[in-house]
Amino acid sequence: MVLDTFEALAMLAAMLGILILGTNDLRTNLAFYSMHTTAIAAETAWIGHLTHENHLFWIAGCVFLIKSVSIPYFLKWVIRKVDVGTDTGAFIAAPLSMHLGAFTVGLSYLISKQIPGLVGDADSTLGSTAAMSILFTGVLLMLTRRAAISQIVGFLVLENGIYLFAVTQTHGMPLLVEMGLLLEVLVAVMVAGLLLFNIKKSFEHIDVSQMTELKD
Amino acid sequence: MSSFTPEKVIETVAFLATLFLLPPLLVGVIRKTKARMQNRIGAPYFQPYYDLLKLLNKNETISKHTSWMFRSTAAFNFSFLVVLAFLAPWTSFHPVEINGDLFLILYLFGLCRFFTVLSALDAGSAFGGFGASREVTLALLLEPAVMMCLASLGVVAQTSNLTDVFNYTNVSLSTQPALWFLAGMGLFLASLVELSRMPADDPTTHLELTMVHEAMILENSAANLALTEYSHCLKILILLGISCQCLLHACPYFWHTTALIRGGASVLAIVMMAAFVALIESVAVKLRWTKLPEFIAYSVAMSIFCVLIALGRNL
Repeated sequence: MVLDTFEALAMLAAMLGILILGTNDLRTNLAFYSMHTTAIAAETAWIGHLTHENHLFWIAGCVFLIKSVSIPYFLKWVIRKVDVGTDTGAFIAAPLSMHLGAFTVGLSYLISKQIPGLVGDADSTLGSTAAMSILFTGVLLMLTRRAAISQIVGFLVLENGIYLFAVTQTHGMPLLVEMGLLLEVLVAVMVAGLLLFNIKKSFEHIDVSQMTELKD
Repeated sequence: MSSFTPEKVIETVAFLATLFLLPPLLVGVIRKTKARMQNRIGAPYFQPYYDLLKLLNKNETISKHTSWMFRSTAAFNFSFLVVLAFLAPWTSFHPVEINGDLFLILYLFGLCRFFTVLSALDAGSAFGGFGASREVTLALLLEPAVMMCLASLGVVAQTSNLTDVFNYTNVSLSTQPALWFLAGMGLFLASLVELSRMPADDPTTHLELTMVHEAMILENSAANLALTEYSHCLKILILLGISCQCLLHACPYFWHTTALIRGGASVLAIVMMAAFVALIESVAVKLRWTKLPEFIAYSVAMSIFCVLIALGRNL
């Protein structure tokens, strides 16, 4: 298949998303997340260029500023405060989950071919392939990791997947809706980050697998 | 090989000159760049040549417990690597058209490793033993990555002959910059480990905890060591050259240009890649041995993406 820029950017975003899975080091995870979101912002701007819808440029700029600069910066600050550098003891070893993630790209392609109602051109099929594999990546991150920071990153990746699906299939929602979504993500991350401090204070760890035990 | 045209003669001379003179310079470039990054002047670029000459003039010490295997390994490896240099597509110019089959190339590298490991075990020192064990472990992890990267290129080109894959004529490969780029990245990460450069192994220390390659050649001295060092330089040239070629093929510009520019670019790219390796070594730290599979996993992930692209090319 010969990729054009639209498809190449979508697949690049999917690939960088999968590379997040490859390491337990939280700072490296955030760096990959930042690159992954930048690719999604570039994809949004490219769609804006293709469809001549100017509000998509604004959305791309906001996605870049909020999701790939501010949120990783904030989470890095949280990591420093909570003093947890690595995610110990993932349920599936990090390299293995990355390879699993790479195979989900193929799976997503097969699924996207089956979804009724998608516009049948190659662009939207590959766009939804990329979006769906980002969804799988987010799910894998949230299911296999223990540290609560990884759960936040997993949630963000999942949200990116949904966003990419929307933007590649519908060529962008209204500006107001997108802004509302971005703000909500920002607030969610802020709240989750602050919650982490409290979890750390009362449990003295941020391991989600041990949070089912009661403690007074 | 039809006749001796002037172009052919120039090509042959350029190839042989690059093959035999460039390898130590690459090590020189790496050392100089690292020195400059650490605010030192550093040894001159041509220091590795002087070192090799110095080693050739020294008296050799051979442990009396070793067999013929230890003595002949350096010569074996050197000859394998010269053959590999003629087979493998590390530059865009090749004086002879040989069928450089991808499996032949991969397992000639394997044969090199086999002899190095045998000679390390032959001397019977403790260092040789654990160096060999580490080298084999790494090779086991790397092989699928390298194989899948090259094989996916071969699948798209419908041939296992790497000379055909890399000679800028295949139409179906000319429209696959993503595949070339991913293959190049995968091979580059794999060659960092294979050449025992920084994230995998620190080539400048002689601390037993960190050594992989150095531990295996510890018993060599004088001419034997010179030949081993030179073979290692040759390996750097070939492996970096192959990943450079992949990355150059990813630029559409090089598909529509003259052989002269391609040749110049491929030599320049290898030197720049060596400088880039030095840059990585200056900013990165050596990974703990148990973390290394994670690093290699990135190379394997690249190769899986290559396979996906190769499988999906007709979709």
